[in-house]
Amino acid sequence: MLPALILFAFFVWEPLLESVRLSMYHAKGVQLLDFAWFENYADVFRHPDFWPAIRNTFLYIFWSLILGFWIPIIIASLLTEVVHFKGLFRTGIYFPNIVPGISGVMLWGFMFRPGKTGVLNILLGHLGIDPQLWLTNPHLTIPLIVLTMTWKAAGSTALVYMAGISSINPELYEAASIDGAKPFQRFLHITLPGILSLGKMLLILQIISVFQILYEPLVMTNGGPNNASISIMQLVYKYAFEDFNYPMAAALSVLICLILGVLTMVYFRVTKKADD
Amino acid sequence: MFFKKYRKKTEGAIRFYDLHSPGTRFATVLIFLAAVVFLVIALFPMFWVAVSGFKDIQELRLTTSILPKSFDINSYVKTWNDFKFGKYYLNSFISVAGGVVCALLFNGTIAYVLAILKPRGHKVVFALVMWSLLIPPTTGIVALFVNIKRIGLTGSFLPLWLSMGANAFWVVLFKQFFEGLPREYFEAAQLDGCSDWRMFWNIVLPLSKPILMVVAIFAVTAAWSDFLLPYLVLSGSGKETVMVRLFNFRTAIKHTDVDLIRAIVFSVIPPTIIFAIFQKQITQGIAAGGIKG
Repeated sequence: MLPALILFAFFVWEPLLESVRLSMYHAKGVQLLDFAWFENYADVFRHPDFWPAIRNTFLYIFWSLILGFWIPIIIASLLTEVVHFKGLFRTGIYFPNIVPGISGVMLWGFMFRPGKTGVLNILLGHLGIDPQLWLTNPHLTIPLIVLTMTWKAAGSTALVYMAGISSINPELYEAASIDGAKPFQRFLHITLPGILSLGKMLLILQIISVFQILYEPLVMTNGGPNNASISIMQLVYKYAFEDFNYPMAAALSVLICLILGVLTMVYFRVTKKADD
Repeated sequence: MFFKKYRKKTEGAIRFYDLHSPGTRFATVLIFLAAVVFLVIALFPMFWVAVSGFKDIQELRLTTSILPKSFDINSYVKTWNDFKFGKYYLNSFISVAGGVVCALLFNGTIAYVLAILKPRGHKVVFALVMWSLLIPPTTGIVALFVNIKRIGLTGSFLPLWLSMGANAFWVVLFKQFFEGLPREYFEAAQLDGCSDWRMFWNIVLPLSKPILMVVAIFAVTAAWSDFLLPYLVLSGSGKETVMVRLFNFRTAIKHTDVDLIRAIVFSVIPPTIIFAIFQKQITQGIAAGGIKG
């Protein structure tokens, strides 16, 4: 067990403490120079990209609540009612999940190509709709990136919900039908409440993961157009691995960690109240 | 016929006896069609990439047809050779193989200790491990990279292998499984004076094939798809993995869009094969684990 503990320490716990230490120093490359108090934090707040990145990150979360949270529930509810080709549907909707992250976003880059030969524009063309700008339209950038993430993740989340639905006691449905409840009423009053607690758990996990969104804007738009899609994690990436300003990147990481800590605590509070 | 199969349905809201109403019949057909639409959305992008890899650059840029004019495998072979994908595949395989060994060995042993041996303080350790489930993995990446750089492990596969050995989710999967094993075996083995290590190798591991399989599959796909740490650690060392190479297409100029499309296909082939072979274990593992792998 000791070696495994050392690994956890090296890869998970120590970096967290090291981030805090690093964020309070001036540094040249990886060499620490002198103690800087909170100067790096001040730099983070003063940086012109900081507030757009914060705003965007919350926009990502907002859209992922609208699209990413509901779509798996809808898929799971519908697929549960399907009896033909069950295995094919399950395997098929899970497939995007095994596409590696970078490949997936590059793939959607082609889908969203503006101009007549972009894949989605070709498809729209068959329906007689004019070519769209897609990602280069600053109002659509974030929702489309969220859609890409949803494409990738929805299948596996839907499988979790489907497992949840099949563990609901079938007698509940029988009893409801005897009382004259229509299928849709049974869905509203038995299926949905049955996956409520699962949904709460997946919701917080989703917020935590969307908060750290990095590859998608990095690869698809590089934060553009004009900072319309830059995320906080992307800012960390930029400070650390493009500007080599590790302390500033560490300071921002610590801030992200704090925000996520607060969100997690709020979540535990809320669910506790709801359970009482 | 279409509705006959609903006789055996025991999950979800609609049951066979609901189908006497035409509205419900209509709804089930609609639901089936919706499922087909979801399936097409899930599969179409990969289908498009796979067939577009056969196009040449003129065809990709100028025509609006989905299917290529001809299916000539040589276009794929050319990109494979031009960009030396054989080398990157080899690098990725090395990184994946070591990662899987570490994932099984380290996460397995810590779970074994926590679930079966339970020495003093095991609760504290488990709490710490559970906490790392909540710690967002990317927030420590800067400090982790700085540490790796300080001890001079950049350009080596070692940090990538070892990083697979510290995954709290896999520890939890192992622990749950070990706790479900019959305790009598371990008590008997301890009475016979079996050492902790021998008990792990000779009793626990042979009983744990299903969970070893699940974690190994997860570890293979995770190690293959992992990007940020390999990118930071391996860039410029000649040991770049397929994912790192793919990302570098973003900035490199000496390629065309069709090369990139084929590179995407290359990066997706190995996980697809794994998935095709082990789809049952994967989908069941997801459902049982309750968390995305």
